[in-house]
This record gives sequence, C-alpha cells and structure tokens, in this order.
Amino acid sequence: MKVLALRGVRKVYRRSHLGRLTETVGLDGLDLEVERGEVFGLLGLNGSGKTTAIKLLMGLHLPTCGTVEVFGKPVPDIESLARIGYAPEAAYLNRALTGRENIRLFAALSRIPACEREARVLAMLRRVGLERGMDQRLSEYSKGMLQRVSLAQALIHEPELVILDEPVTGLDPLAIKEVRALILWLKGKGKSVLFSSHDISEVEKVCDRIGILSGGRLARVMTQEEWQGRPGALEEAFAASVTRTDGVGEIRLD
Amino acid sequence: MDTIKAVFDYTLREHVRSRAWLSAALFGLVLLGAGAIASVLAVNERGRMVLDLGLAAILAIGLVSMVFLTVRLVLQEIESRAVFLILTHPVRRWHYLLGRFFGTLAAVAIGMAGMGLVHWLLLEAFGWAPAGSYALAWVSILGQVALMGALALLLSLALTSEAAAMAFSVFFWVLGHFTPELRYIAERSGSGPLRGLILAFARAAPDFSRLDYAGARHAGTPAAWAAWAVLYVLAYGTACLALSAELFEQKEF
Repeated sequence: MKVLALRGVRKVYRRSHLGRLTETVGLDGLDLEVERGEVFGLLGLNGSGKTTAIKLLMGLHLPTCGTVEVFGKPVPDIESLARIGYAPEAAYLNRALTGRENIRLFAALSRIPACEREARVLAMLRRVGLERGMDQRLSEYSKGMLQRVSLAQALIHEPELVILDEPVTGLDPLAIKEVRALILWLKGKGKSVLFSSHDISEVEKVCDRIGILSGGRLARVMTQEEWQGRPGALEEAFAASVTRTDGVGEIRLD
Repeated sequence: MDTIKAVFDYTLREHVRSRAWLSAALFGLVLLGAGAIASVLAVNERGRMVLDLGLAAILAIGLVSMVFLTVRLVLQEIESRAVFLILTHPVRRWHYLLGRFFGTLAAVAIGMAGMGLVHWLLLEAFGWAPAGSYALAWVSILGQVALMGALALLLSLALTSEAAAMAFSVFFWVLGHFTPELRYIAERSGSGPLRGLILAFARAAPDFSRLDYAGARHAGTPAAWAAWAVLYVLAYGTACLALSAELFEQKEF
C-alpha cells in the first residue's frame, strides 16, 4: 500500500519584480510513490527539486499541475498531517522558548491528549538525549542540539510516515551515525521514511529504494539489490543520471 | 480550540520574554510619572490632568506596542521559517492566526493593565478616582488597541512588508479620527468617482468617534455607549481577521 504518491507534478515559481515576471521550474512532471514500511531516499543535486517535492507533500506549496496524495488523500489534508512527522533541513524553531516548551507546543499541536503530554514530552527529550538542556532557551543551543529538537518534534506524535529533509547535512560524524541509527530504528518499528540527501554513502546504507532527481524529474529509481555488494554502483548511476541545472560549471584542474 | 490555545500560549510567552515589550511598559510608567509631575501646572484640576495624561500615555504605549508587534507577528515567522513547522502539524491556518493575534493582544493588555494599576494608584493619591468613567475609558482604549492590531495584521499580510504595513497603519489611525468629516466632504463633493474614493476610505478606516471615551462621559447612558463600542470593535475586528485568514490561506511558504 502506498503512503504517498506524486503524479505528473509540475511546480512553477512565478516572481514579479518591477513589472517583470520570471518563472522558475521547481518540478517538471514528477512521478513518485513510496510504499508503507519502506525507507526511500531522494538523491539529487542542489536545485533538483528535492525540497520542493517535500514542501508539496507537507502542503506548504500547491502544485501548478498534477496530483499529490498522502495516505490516499489529496494534499493539503489536516488529518493526514496528524500522521506525518517532518523535520526540515534546518531547525526552524522558536528560539525564545526552551527545548521542553518547544516540544510541549508541538505535542499540543499534534493532538496528544493533555493528560499524556508531559510524560510523552519528557520521554522524547530523553530519547534524543536532551534531558539535561531541556530547560535552556533554544537561543543557547548548539546546531547539533537544535537538530535533535527538530527530530523530537517530528517524532513526538509517533507518526506513520517520517519525512526528513537533508537530515545529515552539516552534522558531525557521530551525529550522522546517530541519525542513521534512528532511521533504521524507525524502519524496524514499521514506519515509512522518506528522506532527501546529497550524501550517496549515507543513502546506500539505510534505503530500500532510492530515486535520483534531476531537473525536477525522477531520472531513475533503484532498489537495494542494484547497489548492495557493488561498490561504486550507486555513485556511477547517480553521475550518469544527473545534469547540472544551476548554471554552475565544473571545477577545472588543468 | 486546543491548537488556538497552544499557539496563544507560546505567543504570549514569547512577547512577555521580549525586551521590547518590557521597555515599552517601563516607558509607559515613566510617562505616567511625568504626567503626575506636569499636573503641578493645573492648580485646581490636578486630578483631572493626571487622569487625562495617564490615559493618553496608556493609549499611546498600547497602540505603538500592538501595531509594532502585529506587523511583525506573521512576517517574522515566515522569514525565520518557524511557521513551516507549525503548519506541517495538524493546524488550520486560521487557528494559527487567531492564536498569534490574541496572544499578542493579551501580552499588550497585560502591559496596559500594569500601567493602569499604577495610574489608578496615582489617582487615588490625588484623591480623584471616578470608577465609572475610568472603566469606560478602558473599554475605549482596549477597543482601539484591538482594532488597530487587527488592521495592522491585515495590512502586514496584504503588503508583505513591515515598513509599509506600519506606515499604512499610521495612515488609517489618523484617517479613523476624521471619518465623520470624510463623510461630510464626500457628500459635498461634486465628482462621483472622488465621492466614491473618499467614502471607500471612510468605510475602510476604523471609526474612532464610536470609541471616544471623552464624549462618552457626557453621554446619557454610558452602558449603552459601551455596548455599541464593544459591538463595533467585534464587527470591525472580525472583518479584519477574516480577511487576514483568507490572505494567509493563499500563501505558499
């Protein structure tokens, strides 16, 4: 059974400046499906459309054309959002609140009953290793601590589908290892995970399937069997599938 | 209601912890003290002068704080992208907007209540504490602050610029004190389009003559005046919030 599906999705950003209209194509006919219980990795260069696809799934953007469905319902759907946990690429959290207050806020927004809320908040803060710093304001947190609060808010309501936008970007090797373990733990609990990344080595360690995005389209989908036991297979497939669309040329070494 | 309350709680907490809010409340207290000192000039009317200067200070600080906070209320969360995480939870956008607005109104009202308490103690010290008219003045001041807050929120979402929203809020604040005059000018105007334009501005701007507590002191039935004033604030405020919600619903982040 599919937990999410994007069919023929096109997203065009229109901006007007001093009467001049410019159009940028974010997605150009994207077709993507993720099955229940699988870990799906979205690989792509900067500007390939990974974050746009995720924002469409979360209802932050509306498609220019095509359909976006989560749990069989068209997006945006409030009831579906209650079953999704989302952690963006950076921790976009309220810095005036403490770690505990932030998670308490998201627990309330995720409809966790008031009588269970405090226990769940404490358990989640313990799970992400923040029990000592939980009463400090986020303005005093390090980047790694903020990332953990971001993960905690995504998991506090025990979602069926977890969407992580570049979860390992900018993290130290130890934190990357912990995020990898978390994704595998979620898979072990039967959750579906969709995550985007630039990092091929990370993707191949945890994913059941990967989709390579290029120019707003899904250039290739690969299953674990295609790269497992074949060192460099995923990297080669990636290099063969993508083309730069951001106008940046190669670094010349001559 | 749970989501509105959750957003309300964090907004209130955020404002109460903000230094700008604390500075505004302290500045208001300084203004009240200055009013008490300046009242020496009015030898026989000292109590009345403390009353009028104090209420004017509370209104000015309340309005400046409310407009300043509401024009940044949603735009700043969009800029910092904190709104992403809120709206990717099962939260209706208008619930978020109401929670943010009423959390801000509550924070400003708490500051104004603190100033009001000090003001009341000053009036007691001068032996001039007219309870009935003081309550009417409070209905009027809180109403004006709520109206301007709702309008500033609408303008910030329509113009998507803090500076422009602030400038237009001041424009409508001034215009709102001349709505009867604007209607009079419109009636006398020979040009149809000009009459339409003046009437449109007169209708869009809040009508502060309905919230004039100085006039209400001389009104026959203050309770009826207060009821109409509250009704007007509710109607105008609801219209602004409904339009804000509609604009916010269309936004992509």
